[in-house]
Amino acid sequence: MEPVVEVRGLVKRYGEVVALAGVDLAVRRGEIFALLGPNGAGKTTLISIVAGLARATEGWARVLGRDVVRDYRLTRRAVGLVPQEVNFDPFFTVEEALRFQAGYFGVRLGEARLVEILDALDLGAKRRTNARALSGGMKRRLLIGKALVHDPQVLFLDEPTAGVDVELRQALWRYVRGLRARGTTVVLTTHYLEEAEALADRIAVIDRGRLVLLEDKGALLARNAGQRLEDIYVALLRRRRETEAA
Amino acid sequence: MIGLGLRTLATKEVRRFLRVPGQTLLSPLVTTTLYFVVFGVSLGTRLADVDGVPYARFIVPGLVALGVTSNAYLNSASSLFVMKLQGTVIDLLVTPLSHAEVLAGFVAAAALRGLLVGAVMWGAAGAFTGFSVAHPLFALAMLLLAAVAFAALGFVTAIWASSFEQVNIFPTFVLTPLTFLGGVFYSARMLSPGLRAFTLANPVYYMVDGLRWGLLGVSDGPPAAGLAILAVLAAGALAAGYAMLATGYKLRA
Repeated sequence: MEPVVEVRGLVKRYGEVVALAGVDLAVRRGEIFALLGPNGAGKTTLISIVAGLARATEGWARVLGRDVVRDYRLTRRAVGLVPQEVNFDPFFTVEEALRFQAGYFGVRLGEARLVEILDALDLGAKRRTNARALSGGMKRRLLIGKALVHDPQVLFLDEPTAGVDVELRQALWRYVRGLRARGTTVVLTTHYLEEAEALADRIAVIDRGRLVLLEDKGALLARNAGQRLEDIYVALLRRRRETEAA
Repeated sequence: MIGLGLRTLATKEVRRFLRVPGQTLLSPLVTTTLYFVVFGVSLGTRLADVDGVPYARFIVPGLVALGVTSNAYLNSASSLFVMKLQGTVIDLLVTPLSHAEVLAGFVAAAALRGLLVGAVMWGAAGAFTGFSVAHPLFALAMLLLAAVAFAALGFVTAIWASSFEQVNIFPTFVLTPLTFLGGVFYSARMLSPGLRAFTLANPVYYMVDGLRWGLLGVSDGPPAAGLAILAVLAAGALAAGYAMLATGYKLRA
């Protein structure tokens, strides 16, 4: 089956800084793909290239088999992005923010779909509330809603639960599982290893711009019997640091 | 046919400035009214006619031009720059909107604000000086071109700028001085040869002079010069804005 997202030889340099040093990976349709790595490893850069926020220095990225630069109008219709940083437009209400975002994608947001998104994200009571007046958690949920308005085939969640309380985190997990059940592919970056362990079908680890692990979660845990994903991840990075030092 | 994406962006931008009408529409009305209270009512009767036009009427085109250009510029510049600052520009960058659609959405909304402010100022001035328009189509073409040109300049500046100070450099240090020294309050024929040469080197002078011909039927030079300068400025600013979007300059890493 053709991968939903595929990158090959992806390199990104910011001057002297190498953010990605030649990454190859493919995300399968309908899976939850966890992209892990320390701060500055290149996770957000990779997502940004696929979503069109950054341009690769070398290599290419494809969504549904289409190049993200040459065929950007097609690939962006298939992608939803929840950015790491919370942002909001203080001029508009929750409903307006969702309707405008849908409109940018050429989608008229029907009442039923709007209510479905609002209810799924527990924002129904805030429909006519200005985004400025939302709590931090609600603003983050609004970001997720904006990423979903055009019903993307692949959703990128860049640290969606950073700074989010336990209750909301679990609600988001349920929602992500629901998306997968409906056929949406989810690419998730997170620093919460238990989140990746609970949700992901496959695990990738990026370190200093290189892909150092890509494996089915079940196989990975079976291979390291008795260890949690966090233990495996910490041991992997420790071995890499020791190798680099030697 | 205009696509839903472009219509959505333009609508959002228009609603944004209509949410703060005191700042975007009423503030220029107050400023203009004050100009005409001073120059029309208080001083107007003591000032000589210029080119056969009462002084209070003579200054209307220049003030309208200043209102249109500064508001068109400020709308696109502040809106896009604030989006960059707040991170909401991501909402646009991840969409399938084409470069032309993004540019057109911002420029159309900003030009509309400029034209609305121009209409408000012209209406306020008309209350003091009368509402006749000598060459309506020409005046409309001048105003449209001025609004588009300066909206596009605001767009370009917003992409380039890294701080609010940089956004304000152009209106404060370029546009306002060029406009005030560009014949808003005087005819170039009233000046000494040295100052006249200085004025004739100012491109904004031709915009004001052309609009004066459109609204009042009098001008120092050929009215088409203003139209041509604005057309070149609009084309240049739009091309620069498009190139910035196409290359991702300061927008895409």
